Amino acid sequence: MKTNNHHKLFIITLFLFGTAISNINAQDSAASTSIMSVHYFLPENKIPYVEVSTKKKSGKKFEPIKDIPVNVYFNEATENNLLGKVTTGINGEGRVSLPASFKATWDSLTEFKFVAVSDSSGGVKSLSGDVTIKKAILVIDTTTSDGIRTVTAQLKEKKGNEWVPVKDIEMKVGVNRMGGILSAGDEETYTSDSTGTATVEFKKDSLPGDQKGNIVLVAKVEDNDAYGNLLVEKTVPWGIAFTPEKNFFDQRTLWSTRYRTPYWLLFMAYSIVIGVWGTLIYLVTQILKTRKMGREYDRNLSTQKSG
Amino acid sequence: MNLENSTSLTNEQITSDLLPQKFGKRGMIWTSLLILIALVGAFAYYRQLKYGLVVTNMRDYVSWGIYISNFVFFVAISLVGSLITAIFRLTNVPWRTPLTRISEIIAVSAITFASLIIIVDMGRPERLLNLFIHGRIQSPIIWDVIVIGTYFCLSLFLLYITLLPDIRIMINAKDKLDKRFSKLYRWLGTFWKGTAAQEKIRNRSITILCIVIIPVAFSIHTVTSWLFATTYRPGWDSTNFGAYFISGAFLVGAGAVVVAMYVFRRYYHLEKYITDKHFEKMGRVVVLLALLYMYFNINEYLVPAFKMKKPEAEHLRQLFGGEFAPLFWFAILVGMIIPIIIMLFKKGRKPLPMFIAGVMIVVGAWFKRYLIVTPTLLHPFLPMYNVPESYHHYFPSWEEWAIAMGSLAGVLLIITFFARVFPIISIYKTLTDQNENEQSS
Repeated sequence: MKTNNHHKLFIITLFLFGTAISNINAQDSAASTSIMSVHYFLPENKIPYVEVSTKKKSGKKFEPIKDIPVNVYFNEATENNLLGKVTTGINGEGRVSLPASFKATWDSLTEFKFVAVSDSSGGVKSLSGDVTIKKAILVIDTTTSDGIRTVTAQLKEKKGNEWVPVKDIEMKVGVNRMGGILSAGDEETYTSDSTGTATVEFKKDSLPGDQKGNIVLVAKVEDNDAYGNLLVEKTVPWGIAFTPEKNFFDQRTLWSTRYRTPYWLLFMAYSIVIGVWGTLIYLVTQILKTRKMGREYDRNLSTQKSG
Repeated sequence: MNLENSTSLTNEQITSDLLPQKFGKRGMIWTSLLILIALVGAFAYYRQLKYGLVVTNMRDYVSWGIYISNFVFFVAISLVGSLITAIFRLTNVPWRTPLTRISEIIAVSAITFASLIIIVDMGRPERLLNLFIHGRIQSPIIWDVIVIGTYFCLSLFLLYITLLPDIRIMINAKDKLDKRFSKLYRWLGTFWKGTAAQEKIRNRSITILCIVIIPVAFSIHTVTSWLFATTYRPGWDSTNFGAYFISGAFLVGAGAVVVAMYVFRRYYHLEKYITDKHFEKMGRVVVLLALLYMYFNINEYLVPAFKMKKPEAEHLRQLFGGEFAPLFWFAILVGMIIPIIIMLFKKGRKPLPMFIAGVMIVVGAWFKRYLIVTPTLLHPFLPMYNVPESYHHYFPSWEEWAIAMGSLAGVLLIITFFARVFPIISIYKTLTDQNENEQSS
């Protein structure tokens, strides 16, 4: 009977233990659908790049798919048109810049297509995506008149050999800040007029800048169906110069460097360390003393024996 | 000391019973198994060194996984050295003799692996040097490094100083012992003659060590708790943490001693020395410690649960009824409540039920440390945004499990090898207690 009880207790413990382990390992196993999207970027009107993004639907959320090898082509998926190969990273994204060998083709066209293709790998089926883009540039400029500062951003697309203004395009015009673009005026976004220009009166005149008072103005067209993503920046001395507090790092605080430790902490820490280690060293000397006593004991014993 | 049938035991019998014994068949299997687990852990660590911490499943949010849970567990268990040896000695608890060395070696082995597992968690072991070159005394991490180093030295010294008379006995009984260890015994204690002057110094040194080791032992676990409590996070932002950790440490340490008492008593046939009375007394101590720990748990969970501040609420919901609930209730029930119920009854304080309760306490305590570390990291104040789905969960990789289990095997290996080379119960103290008993009767 007693043994039976012990067995029961053991089984209950084992069950509870097993439940605990299996809980840590709980994983979602929802069915998934994979997609690939292609985005075009032109920073500072210089070298464009294409960003490929792979995702799968898991439950109600989209999850990035990493480690997917993708071939990116210019205009059509043929070997000659291969722009480059990329493997998606931990965020499911990969980026390919336009190689110099495509410059002549790029210059000759006004509209082009990027195609991304992946073979089936790692349990993910073959994916593909493309994006068609009209060639355009974004220009940022500033003017100051009667103390009023204005930022203008103009979008122009290439038609034949001409750069033609594009109207009714939504864009952001603002100041680059940590974590995003702070609008230069009152609106979140602006739309280009018949001259392709969005004109914004600069109202953020008390922003902290760098040590010279420089801030970075930004104009950005985001995820436009025809033109993709374009971004231009311009540095202007419109901010308030930041002057670092000279004595800030000289304070003795808990967050200072090791050379600026508060005196009270140094006193307490070293008192404790010296107190404890002093005692330990004293005790070691006591043991060494007993070693000496032991040797003397042996000497006396051998003297007595020989005497 | 309460020896059963003590009158029938001669000094020779006691010495013969308590001298270290060769491994039997079971001992060899046990040791081989531990070595195998430790080797798998070493291989996993080699992979971690080669490929980096990416072989673990620790990422941006859960940056402290089972390595740190293991570290807290080892620090906790090591506190028992100060409880049994120092506190019991200073309060003159008469039945402590067969338990002191067991608790001392548990303390030394656990604190050794606590130090090692921190180096494993660092990923780049050579960077340990940076703690000393660039360390700031303002940082609780430096306090932890200092107190753990100090506690290790104090525990090792206490173990050594209490071993000296036994080493003399072993040198004298060299014919009965393995010849391979003779050199070691002579190197460690040939100077010890047991003269009155030496004995006086030794006794005074042990008393001083016992006085010093208590605040240092309290410091190691308090400072370890401050590693958490000094950061502003749900579940860690608590003024209760020092006492909560200390009480938990005493409980798991005492539980480990109970388990070790049972194993040594059974497999080294020490029934005459580790008696039912010792289990009875330890049972009472463990119940007291479990109740104390439960009191601090109630403080730790009830007060924030009463207020339910938003970030705390999410963390607590996950513990009480969410993803971590089975593990949480397992740790509370198996680690505290069931052992208390078992040991409240006299029958539950017999060796076997005590052993089962001890195992439950130790296993529950390991999972409790996991629950202290991981759920908090998965519930930061700023919501997790735009991160891969896997960052929202944490389950250790096989390398992490292997290293964690390897370190546990390492602790047990130190204890096993120690018991192979040295007496696990002090022969000298047992003889002294017996002689004192005879004189007083």
